[in-house]
Amino acid sequence: MHIPDGYLSPQTAGGLWALMVPVWYAAGYKVKKTLSARQAPLVAIAAAFSFVIMMFNLPLPGGTTGHAVGGTIIAIIIGPWAAVIAISVSLTIQALFFGDGGILALGANCFNIGFVLPVTGYYTYRLLSRGAAEDSPRRWFAAGIGAYVGLNLAALITAVEFGLQGDLFKAADGSALYSPYGLSTAIPAMMIPHMAVVGVIEAVMTSLIFVFLLRNNPSLLHSYDGIRAAATGRLQLKPLLIGMALLLVCVPLGLLATGSAWGEWGAEEIQADVGYVPQGMDRYLGRWSGILPDYAFPAAEEADTGEEPAGAVSLEGVKESVPGYMVSGVVGLALVGGLAWFSTRLLTRRSRKKEQLD
Amino acid sequence: MTEDAALPDWLTGHGRKRSRDWTPGDSRRQSAIAGTLLGLSRLVRDSVFSEKIASRPGLLQNLDPRIKLVGMLSLLVTVSLLRNWYLILPLYGFTLVMAAASRISLKLYIRRVWLFVPIFTAIIVFPSLFNVVRPGDPLWVIRDFGHQVTLGPWSLGTSLAITYQGVKGAVLLILRVVTSVSLGVLLALTTRWADLLKSLRVFHIPRVFVLILSMTYRYIFLLLAMAEDIFTARTSRMVGPSSPREDRRFIASSMGTLLGKSHAFSDEVYGAMVSRGYNGEPVISHSFRTRPADWFWLASVTLAIAIIIGGDRLLG
Amino acid sequence: MADTTADTGAGAPVFRVDSVSYRYRETVALAGVSLTIGAGERVALLGANGSGKSTLLKMLDGLIFPDQGHIRALGHELSAEALKDDGFSRMFRQQVGFVFQNSDAQLFSPSVREEIAFGPLHLGLSLEEVGRRVDDTLHIMGLEQLADRPPYNLSGGEKKKVALASVLAISPDVFLFDEPTAGLDPKTVSFLERMVLQLSDAGKTVVTATQDLELARVIAERVLVLGEDHRLAGEGPPDEVLTDRELLLSSNLIHDHSHRHDERGLEHIHPHSHLTDHGHQHG
Repeated sequence: MHIPDGYLSPQTAGGLWALMVPVWYAAGYKVKKTLSARQAPLVAIAAAFSFVIMMFNLPLPGGTTGHAVGGTIIAIIIGPWAAVIAISVSLTIQALFFGDGGILALGANCFNIGFVLPVTGYYTYRLLSRGAAEDSPRRWFAAGIGAYVGLNLAALITAVEFGLQGDLFKAADGSALYSPYGLSTAIPAMMIPHMAVVGVIEAVMTSLIFVFLLRNNPSLLHSYDGIRAAATGRLQLKPLLIGMALLLVCVPLGLLATGSAWGEWGAEEIQADVGYVPQGMDRYLGRWSGILPDYAFPAAEEADTGEEPAGAVSLEGVKESVPGYMVSGVVGLALVGGLAWFSTRLLTRRSRKKEQLD
Repeated sequence: MTEDAALPDWLTGHGRKRSRDWTPGDSRRQSAIAGTLLGLSRLVRDSVFSEKIASRPGLLQNLDPRIKLVGMLSLLVTVSLLRNWYLILPLYGFTLVMAAASRISLKLYIRRVWLFVPIFTAIIVFPSLFNVVRPGDPLWVIRDFGHQVTLGPWSLGTSLAITYQGVKGAVLLILRVVTSVSLGVLLALTTRWADLLKSLRVFHIPRVFVLILSMTYRYIFLLLAMAEDIFTARTSRMVGPSSPREDRRFIASSMGTLLGKSHAFSDEVYGAMVSRGYNGEPVISHSFRTRPADWFWLASVTLAIAIIIGGDRLLG
Repeated sequence: MADTTADTGAGAPVFRVDSVSYRYRETVALAGVSLTIGAGERVALLGANGSGKSTLLKMLDGLIFPDQGHIRALGHELSAEALKDDGFSRMFRQQVGFVFQNSDAQLFSPSVREEIAFGPLHLGLSLEEVGRRVDDTLHIMGLEQLADRPPYNLSGGEKKKVALASVLAISPDVFLFDEPTAGLDPKTVSFLERMVLQLSDAGKTVVTATQDLELARVIAERVLVLGEDHRLAGEGPPDEVLTDRELLLSSNLIHDHSHRHDERGLEHIHPHSHLTDHGHQHG
């Protein structure tokens, strides 16, 4: 799932960096609050552990091997926010020193593997194990499911990032500029192996480690509860999370329904965009028309009629559309990133004030 | 057991029949564990090797790491911005020149760059050459069906062909990947990791992150050594093949053990830091000083970038 | 060896430990230990594995705090609360240095040079002063060749030297050593022994936790024995304590059978009334 450099357009890679900065900021704040000075060694060693765990080869049925990420189990032990930093650090070292994952794509990789995976995994675990007894099998089962869900959501988001490249970033002649596959190919290509194999490994390994710790080192599984209980002055992260989730949904949707969502940002640029985006989407929809024969996508159709010669787009139009998209994309993402940063800033300041009052 | 107890027979070897037979060819079963061991030792070897190159004199080694980081990142961004494959070529050539000027063996450098990611990319990109996967103008028609072929919900078109757009996209992607990886490898090979991490401060990365990064890098090797011990102990004790199921269980328990050990260990490290005055506010010092040569290098990199990006925009 | 500095006791004691108890979750580590360590003393803290000597040492360094009892260090109450005060914490960290048993835990920096610089930097010394101290420390420990090496490819002996160097650079008045010689080659062991004596000559207080009787004999002028019951089982000058077979046996420091062979015939065990718990305090 580590995306190398070259697969993502700078807009996508930059946008994900912009998304990740407030996440790191919030996670850093949270961790500093809960662990204070102890954070450095604990997070560093968790990061080293996450690095090492990704090197363990696991035997798969059929004689091949794969590896687990371990994001969920790390999040269970040191808490989701410390896990975000630990896994990001581990990914940074992989990218900088071992060429595993790109340097420009680091924002994307940290978002997918370092943020979506552990946070989803952890909260799924919490949700499913709520009220479960200490030795209830539900707890290790919940850990496994959490790992499965977290990994697959991360894979799905990775696939969307890939797919957008194929659908949106094309040269004048239609050749791919970055990763060549559109959403319709990238999503199944990524999700089938992850849902069938990689996610299962992650789930099985997480459960096995959980059971091992339950038997041999149960206090470790509670260490985060203690940290959480001791923490004072909580930073409200829910708004940030909801915003992120909305963004995640809106960005791809906005790109699908070109005429509407992106149109609100800047009519000029998008007018140019319409020239080619629907074409990709059209094919995407057309391919699936066998499955969804009676289902029409109004946004796409609207866009089609908006641009008169739907099939034959002049070269000029396409040429203009690429920088057009770039501008709108960069501006949009910068705006989103700035807003996210600003809101976390406000949030942290408010909680700090509250603390002082306390 | 008391220390005076006689050693049991099975330990002293009296009256024991030793098994001296082994069956060759059963190594595939152990490939997961053996593969991990190999990976672990290769990692350590690679990084020791990198440190060695980084401490040799050479063009990139002599640059101020902050300048080098900024320059290399600008080049990376440039590579990701270009839309014409032939404009990436001079940048790739530039990395070769820099490698040679940094006294890195080209053979080794090229092998290190091409060995994994580009080959992987070539495999990934292969299907996109065909019109079935990604429509385009046929460059080479492999087979003409003569009629519309459908496969489930997908319509495959009337012929199977390699497209012009497919080839162009593939070449562009592979060149992009290779040049990006090359820049990353150059940066990693020619910079001591302590310096590289400290130079991240140029981007105002918080000190505590830099501290965590440097500690992580250092402890990866400790955990690797611990992991290696666990694994070697296992392989040396192993009699006969183990099932993948057993292997998985073993690996899970190794990871669990490692997790417990490292968690406890972090307490110890924390104590050692506090004992020497650490109070949560890291102090990071460096003795970097830029010289005219650094700025000259950065200026030439910037110029090269401007020319290439200008060309790319002109050519469309 | 300047034994004259030893029994001074003139200044205030460096540490005064008053019936201190500590437990890790359910296991007892210390059960009512009292002792006093005077300025400039060379003390060995003898005890078998698990007797609580590492715990005691960590307490003396203000890393963990007693469940019951009190510790005074350098004339101040040593508690988590007290160490929250920046001024006291800086003073205390500067005056008390701890060489951990596990060098890997102590060496967390990317290179030997930075490891040595960590303490002085975090105690607020100026950059020039830090640089000077690092160079001097590298020189006196003979580590110049290793200055830019990352700690993971050092030998065990080299790691221990770097760990000691990292503490030396702070220039503390009190050195705490936890099992300094465990697993080291004889050359490094004798290097460390000489180092301890030199530090002592320079007026430093040195407290060494160990289970190595030979090391205690060489470096200590007073030996404290922690028993199996996590209490102080005895104390005195090394030639007394180290020949008290009964004490050593009861504290699991020697094995009943292990020495009989050599000592048969010339066995002379000092009769020595046991000093338990609170007896016999200096100062």
